[in-house]
Amino acid sequence: MQSKLSDTDLIEQTLAGDQSAYADLVKRHQRFVFTLAMRFAKSREDAEEIAQDCFIKAYRSLGTFQRQSKFTTWLYSIVYTTAMTTLRKKRIATDSIDDEETFIQVENKPSGYDENNVENKSRSFYLSQAIDQLLPDDATIITLFYKGEQSLEEIAQTMGIEANTVKVKLFRARQRLKDKLERNLKHEAKELI
Amino acid sequence: MNSIEEQLWNYIDGTSSPEEQKAITLLIEQDDIYRKKYNELLLLNAEFANMELDEPPMAFKYNVMEAIRNEHAQAPLKAKIDQRIIRGIGLFFVLMISTIMIYALACVHWSAGLSGGTTLHFAIPQIAQYLTSPLMQGFLFFDVILALYTFDTYLRKKNRTKTYTSVQSGGQQK
Repeated sequence: MQSKLSDTDLIEQTLAGDQSAYADLVKRHQRFVFTLAMRFAKSREDAEEIAQDCFIKAYRSLGTFQRQSKFTTWLYSIVYTTAMTTLRKKRIATDSIDDEETFIQVENKPSGYDENNVENKSRSFYLSQAIDQLLPDDATIITLFYKGEQSLEEIAQTMGIEANTVKVKLFRARQRLKDKLERNLKHEAKELI
Repeated sequence: MNSIEEQLWNYIDGTSSPEEQKAITLLIEQDDIYRKKYNELLLLNAEFANMELDEPPMAFKYNVMEAIRNEHAQAPLKAKIDQRIIRGIGLFFVLMISTIMIYALACVHWSAGLSGGTTLHFAIPQIAQYLTSPLMQGFLFFDVILALYTFDTYLRKKNRTKTYTSVQSGGQQK
C-alpha cells in the first residue's frame, strides 16, 4: 500500500533512520524518475542505471535538502545532472545529435508492432514515438511540464537555466513534437496506402 | 511580436499578461484563424498531458534499497569510526615516543665514555605513585560507561537492520 504521508514527512523519517520511509519515497517517484532517465538514455538498461544512481545519490544527500523547494524539484535536478554526466561519460553526444539523424535512427528501430496492423496503434504510441525522436532537453522540458507538475520556474531550477529560457525552449519543444507527431502519422498513412 | 501559436500557447499556459489574455479571448471569439488554431492547440495540449509514463522494472525499488543497504553494510569501518579519534590515538603515540626519546637522550652522560669506564645509567621515572586508587577507579568507571554506550549503539543498529529486512521481505512477498 502506498504511504499517504507527505514527501517531507517521509524525508524526516528517513533522516531519523527509518529506511522503509525512503523505500516509500522511491516507490512514489520511481515512474517519473525512470521516465526522465529514459528521455536521455533511450535504452531501458541505461535508464534503470541512471534512475537507480539518482535515488542512491538523493539518499546520500538527503540531509543537505534545504526544503526551500519541492522535493521533486530537488530530485529531478539530481536526475538531470546525473543523466547528463552519465551520457557524457558514455560518450553519447546528446546535444550534438542531429535531429534528422535521430529521426532516421528511431525510424529504423523495429517497433515491435505489426506494420500491417497500423490501426491497432494508439495515439499514445505515436506520441511516445515522437517524444523519443526529440532531443533529450526538449523531451525533458515537455515531460517535466506536463507530467512532473513543475512550473516554469521549477523547471528552470531543475535544468539550471532562466525561467524565460525555459518558456522559449518549451514553445520550441512543443513545435518540434507537433511536427514529429504529424510527420509520423503521415508516414503511417502513406504505408497504409 | 509573437507568432499566433506562441501567443496561444502562452494563453493556454496562463503565462500571458491580463491585457494579452483579454485581447486573445476576443480574437478567439471573432477571428476564425485564431479559433481554429486555438482548438487545435487545445487538443494537442490535452494529448501531451495524457502522455504515458514509462514503467520501471518490477524489482526497481528493491534494487535501490538493496544498493543503499549494501553501501551501509560496507561503510562502517570507514564511516563509523571518527577520523579524529584515529588521529588523536596516533598523536598520543607520537607524543609518548617523542617524550621517552627526549627523556632518554637527556639522561645519557655523553662525556662518560671519555673520562673513564663507568656504565650508562638511566633513571626510570616512578609512575606508580600517580596510579592512586581513586584515579584507577575513575578510569575503570569511564571504561564501563563507554563499553555500555558502544553495546547499546550496536544493539540499536542491529534492531533497525532486522526491521528493515522484515519490511523488505514482506514487500517482496506481496
